Amino acid sequence: MTKTNKYLPLILFALCVIGWVACTQERDPCLTPKIAILNVETQHLPTDTATVFVDTALPAAVFTPITTIPNIAGTLYPPQALFTLSLSPDSTVCKWSFTADTATNKFDTITFYYQKSLKFLSNACGYTYFYNIDSVQSTHNIIDSIHILNASVTNNVNTNQLQICIHTHF
Amino acid sequence: MSILTSCRYVFILTFSALVLSGTSRVYAQATDTTAADTTSEHKVKKKDLAGHQLSIGFDIARPVINSLVSNQMGYEFAADYYMHNELYLAAEGGWGSSTVNYTDLKYNTKNNFLRFGFNRSILTRDRPADWDMMFVGMRLAAANVDRTPATFTVIDSVWGSNTGSSPGKDFTAVWVELTGGMRVEFIKGLFAGWNFRGKILLNNRSFNDLAPLYIAGYGKGDKNVVFDLNVYISYGIRWNRKSLVDTTAITK
Repeated sequence: MTKTNKYLPLILFALCVIGWVACTQERDPCLTPKIAILNVETQHLPTDTATVFVDTALPAAVFTPITTIPNIAGTLYPPQALFTLSLSPDSTVCKWSFTADTATNKFDTITFYYQKSLKFLSNACGYTYFYNIDSVQSTHNIIDSIHILNASVTNNVNTNQLQICIHTHF
Repeated sequence: MSILTSCRYVFILTFSALVLSGTSRVYAQATDTTAADTTSEHKVKKKDLAGHQLSIGFDIARPVINSLVSNQMGYEFAADYYMHNELYLAAEGGWGSSTVNYTDLKYNTKNNFLRFGFNRSILTRDRPADWDMMFVGMRLAAANVDRTPATFTVIDSVWGSNTGSSPGKDFTAVWVELTGGMRVEFIKGLFAGWNFRGKILLNNRSFNDLAPLYIAGYGKGDKNVVFDLNVYISYGIRWNRKSLVDTTAITK
């Protein structure tokens, strides 16, 4: 190697090292959901004699966690048939209050029974809990029945775990 | 052994074979050129005249990185010994630690590591005393990692935060490296150079419960493939150096 060319790669490399260190982040960003997501779809029978459930957009549904934590408000959804809930990591049982429309006074309570397992996501995201639903019970003011489609509740946002069938004339 | 692991091993072996094959051809080409320059009536028998060299160095970039990156520390030393035909045996080692002190995750790790392998120079020597080199090489490396108990908090805006701990653990990380780089002798016996490394973790399943943030010698423990750079200053100890040209002419 000639003397001029000898040192050029070293200088370039030193600049690269400085650039790399300057751009190193203290913590990588977390690119996955950190909380396990329970996706719920709502359906109903269009008539009393119908046998096939159809997707049902609820006009103004509200899901409210029943918890001892103060000032936890429910989530008011615009008209839609897909909703997102979560399960309590502190327990193996949790409850949600549900109404299909804020214009009605009818509410149902949905109770989830499940097992939880600790899951390490990454250093960027930390730990979370994944769940396996054992059973789901509810009152029946608005809800006709509840079906578990997939008992596994993870941070996979593309899986629907629960199907809530609403009374025909909700 | 899973299909993924098998594919990984096949890839490593294939790539290594290609690298070795490529460097051998470069060397063979250089040899042929030298031979063609001599009179056709003479058959030239080439000898390796470079003598022996044991080179010992350390990575000067690590202290710089240690001072700039607050949550990790590492030191690294390297040695290589010239065998023959531009082949060097290489051994590297070091130690390091990391501190994870996030709001939702806290633990410490420390580890030491060793790497063994070879480098092959792909530059033709100007003369036997020319020890400047560009090289490719391969390493097999292992580190024993000691992780303290980890405390974590699962932050949930609906149900409230949940705090817990995961017990400490000792484990071994094993990886292979493909490396390339250069070094130049800027003062007699004293070298500066850099290595670029691609590293593939072989036992990543060991880290499913909590992959360490940083493994000295490897890098980010939660990545299966990482790339790294080293800047070495090293000193070469030489002996048995011979004359510049030592060809034996055989008259037909």
